[in-house]
Amino acid sequence: MPESSEATITLAGDLHARPAGALSVAAAKFDAAVEVIVGTSQANAKSVLAVMQLGASSGQQVTIRATGPDAGAAVAAIIGILAGATKAGD
Amino acid sequence: MAANVGIVLVSHSVSLAEGTAELAGQVGGAAVTIATAGGTDDGRIGTSIGKIAHAVRLADAGVGVLILPDLGSSVLTVRALLADPDDLPGQVVMADAPFVEGAVAAAVIAAAGGDLKAVLDAAQEARHARKL
Repeated sequence: MPESSEATITLAGDLHARPAGALSVAAAKFDAAVEVIVGTSQANAKSVLAVMQLGASSGQQVTIRATGPDAGAAVAAIIGILAGATKAGD
Repeated sequence: MAANVGIVLVSHSVSLAEGTAELAGQVGGAAVTIATAGGTDDGRIGTSIGKIAHAVRLADAGVGVLILPDLGSSVLTVRALLADPDDLPGQVVMADAPFVEGAVAAAVIAAAGGDLKAVLDAAQEARHARKL
């Protein structure tokens, strides 16, 4: 039975190219499948183009959902990046 | 820390190659090596097999190099280089991908430590990514 994990954060800044890149680099290091969910849209966290296409902006809620052997660690790492990387505003 | 796949951006224009490398490097972060081969040997619009070969050697860290061409004769010049691979590192492949999106997507997966196939797939999947 695969591990599954999920957490939600409110963005402190827009999910522009650089934080989207940081998110995807982190996600791609895990074996778990990771989704980024914003409102009714979702994207594969390992695809930076899909993450950027979400157009998530400051104040929006973003849910990270992972399924796989290292799902918990993947969610924790990505939430940590979103908490830090979106503060700079780009 | 394991070595990362290197990326070579081949463009007819020096500034297009360098600007795309700058953007992809910002998105992918410091872990990824992106080398450029823009313009002809004397700096005009065009491509140079010598510049591409040099960039491939710069980008190679021993685990493969992905080459992204911009348009038309960039592809032909890369093909000519790959047809005579004696001076190139072991694994060098060319991606069939949009230039900017492919570079950014490939940089992210290379930075994460993906192997050459994963980096190639990321670049080539970029053709399906919607912008709007």
